[in-house]
Amino acid sequence: MSDAETLQSGRRGHGRAAKRAARMAHAAATVPFITRQIPIYEVLNEEGLSLIEQNAETVLEEVGIDFKGDPEALAIWREAGADVREERVHIPRGLCRRIIREHAPATYTQHARNPARSVVMGGKHTVFAPAYGPPFVHDLDRGRRYGTIEDFRNFVKLTYATPWLHHSGGTVCEPVDLPVNKRHLDMVYAHMRYSDKPFMGSVTAPERAADTVAMAEILFGADWIDPATGKPRTVVTSLINANSPLTWDATMLGALKVYARANQANLLTPFILAGAMAPVTVAGSTTLTLAEAMAGVAFTQLVAPSAPVILGSFASSMSMKSGAPTFGTPEPAMVMYAMAALARRLNVPFRAGGAFTASKIPDAQAAYESALTMLPACLAGTNFILHTAGWLEGGLAMGYEKFVMDADQAGMLQTMLNGIDLSENGQAMDAIREVGPGKHFLGCGHTQANFESAFHGSAIADNNSFEQWDAEGRLDQAQRANAQWKRMLQDYEPPPIDPATDDALLDFMARRKAATPDSNV
Amino acid sequence: MADDDLDLNSLNDDDLVSQMHDDLYDGLKEEIEQAVNILLARGWTPYDVLTQALVEGMRIVGEDFRDGILFVPEVLLSANAMKAGMAILRPLLAETGAPKVGKMIIGTVKGDIHDIGKNLVAMMMEGAGFEVINLGINNAVDNFLKAIDEHQPDIIGMSALLTTTMPYMKVVIDTLKEKGIRSDFIVLVGGAPLNEAFANAIGADAYCRDAAVAVETAKRLMADRQGSVQARAQA
Ligand code: B12
Repeated sequence: MSDAETLQSGRRGHGRAAKRAARMAHAAATVPFITRQIPIYEVLNEEGLSLIEQNAETVLEEVGIDFKGDPEALAIWREAGADVREERVHIPRGLCRRIIREHAPATYTQHARNPARSVVMGGKHTVFAPAYGPPFVHDLDRGRRYGTIEDFRNFVKLTYATPWLHHSGGTVCEPVDLPVNKRHLDMVYAHMRYSDKPFMGSVTAPERAADTVAMAEILFGADWIDPATGKPRTVVTSLINANSPLTWDATMLGALKVYARANQANLLTPFILAGAMAPVTVAGSTTLTLAEAMAGVAFTQLVAPSAPVILGSFASSMSMKSGAPTFGTPEPAMVMYAMAALARRLNVPFRAGGAFTASKIPDAQAAYESALTMLPACLAGTNFILHTAGWLEGGLAMGYEKFVMDADQAGMLQTMLNGIDLSENGQAMDAIREVGPGKHFLGCGHTQANFESAFHGSAIADNNSFEQWDAEGRLDQAQRANAQWKRMLQDYEPPPIDPATDDALLDFMARRKAATPDSNV
Repeated sequence: MADDDLDLNSLNDDDLVSQMHDDLYDGLKEEIEQAVNILLARGWTPYDVLTQALVEGMRIVGEDFRDGILFVPEVLLSANAMKAGMAILRPLLAETGAPKVGKMIIGTVKGDIHDIGKNLVAMMMEGAGFEVINLGINNAVDNFLKAIDEHQPDIIGMSALLTTTMPYMKVVIDTLKEKGIRSDFIVLVGGAPLNEAFANAIGADAYCRDAAVAVETAKRLMADRQGSVQARAQA
């Protein structure tokens, strides 16, 4: 009920005020995560998929994979039956697959502090999250500059205010203005305080992962432990990248173990710049990705059986003429299709995609490259799409306008994934009967009942006449997006939080910050 | 191998040098080694072999790399051929007191494992005739100090791709300052999240946005240094 509907004077209300309020509302509408209703697009048949699987098993057994700087990890592998030579783990054929199929959950719920915003990872579901990691931010007014904690909070707020992003993400930009050894506290807190969507934790050191878990425990309070299992609820999903080719390193493994043991989700991603970090062919990159990802996912299950996990693939290619990373090219899209199918055969949730581009600004290159990664990611049946909004410059910059443009596209894709409504209302036979030949549908009962939600409208596309566009200042998409993010930040209202919980979080952070001097190393 | 059984000995000096330019372009390591030895046997000074045959050949390679005609894997082979030629010339150059091309140590700093860009820089520097000692990834300040002791480089190169590891470059530079040896070296820094302002703020000599700029900058700063060393010697 909006306030406008209960006017003091006893009038009926509605009219202009109510409609304006409803239609202008930029408040954080909750749109549930996606449950796909359209088929998955497959590019490889059984023969192709099993060929890659066989090759990946050969890689693991014959070439082996390094688990660097972590003697415990090596002991775990030895115990599990792998042939460990120094730091190189040779994994017998089929072992990873068996461990994964036996223990790894096919789906899991990542709980949000607002239960209406919890998401399910895996199965028929798709969850969109903003871009991760950029050290720079970009907007039309100020250009490119290092990110700050203020930018970080802005992107958490924008994500919160965007119905099409279901997840708050993680390092939405790097707050370079804060000391390296403490900035994770402010980042995690920003997700907890300025949003009520699920989020990602710190991975840059095991103790920073432990801080994330401790803060999650404070935030969830009495809901932290699930009485049904006696274990903590899964409330954080964190990004663990392989150092391809064929290396998992101590930093990432350290964070992985902290999260797995606390029943928090790990997202294991071979992040491959094909050409440098993998062979230049699609099949070769896919094989390497599968081998690394299987070893990583199996490792989480050895550390903590049934701990929630996502198998990831980040495929990009490299310009063989300069060495620069390239994005939105067709070959990585093929890797995505193949990896999604291979993850399904392991029965684990799959992450890929993003609105990738190497462009520095929100221009045509940015739009094309992003679209050509997001569409295949969606069609492939990807469950978690990190980097859905904001990515510029190969991940070096988070763009304010780009964020708005990408989020707008995410809404479109969501509608596409919802498939075709074949209900009685969807069939619209009553409308066709009512209108008949030679008239129009604008006034018929069915249209009157459905027009508002009928077509997914873009918030930033311009579909008006040339003259109107001209009169409104000939703005391009990026300029319209510029106005949009400013409006969103202006209208932003933080989700309520229990003051005692907030105090406890702030107190924890203050104590952690006081415990060690600021350091940038 | 060249496609035919060309006997490099049968070429006169000019043709041989032109052939070397082609062989560097095609990344033919053994042919370059052979040709370097032939020129030396014909009485060329090591310095002339270096500048007229090798450096000039690699200048052409660099130009075509910049113009997008050559691919990275091709330049890698060219750089390897150059490196092989340099291995023969280097001791001779030292003996004859020719101006040094320069020696570089390069590594990714502590906490960071990104090494693709750093390796490209190492490759291009070798291609330009520099001697490069690649320290790999995740280098603490002690590794840099040890390598300085062991190799006596002219240039220290540091790479970082993470905003969380960039500040470590300052730790290395500050340590050099503490030890009073900062000005003995050219310090170059690079990595996508850096910029010029950052390099200035931490006291590096230069930020290089890519491998080609790294080579140009290194050459320029080496020339300045040798100029200043000579100037000092003359004063
Ligand atoms: C490939 C890549 C990886 C690979 C690295 C593999 C490898 N062996 O190097 C992997 C997957 C392992 C990886 C891991 C991680 N990465 Co990474 N990675 C990248 C990526 C996409 C490309 C880097 C690259 O190789 N570029 C190609 C080369 C040729 O370019 P370059 O490195 O810039 O080098 C050129 C110049 O800079 C210069 N140069 C470089 N070094 C030097 C040195 C000297 C002396 C000189 C003169 C010049 C010079 O010359 C080079 C050649 O032209 C960047 C994004 C980007 N677009 O840069 C992210 C990026 C750097 N990574 C990032 C992150 C966050 C990570 C992880 C923390 C992710 C995670 N949660 O697991 C881990 C950290 C691991 C660790 N401990 O270091 C962020 C960092 C941002 C930040 N917040 O600080 C970026 C920006 C991406 C992102 N948005 O997330 N990554």
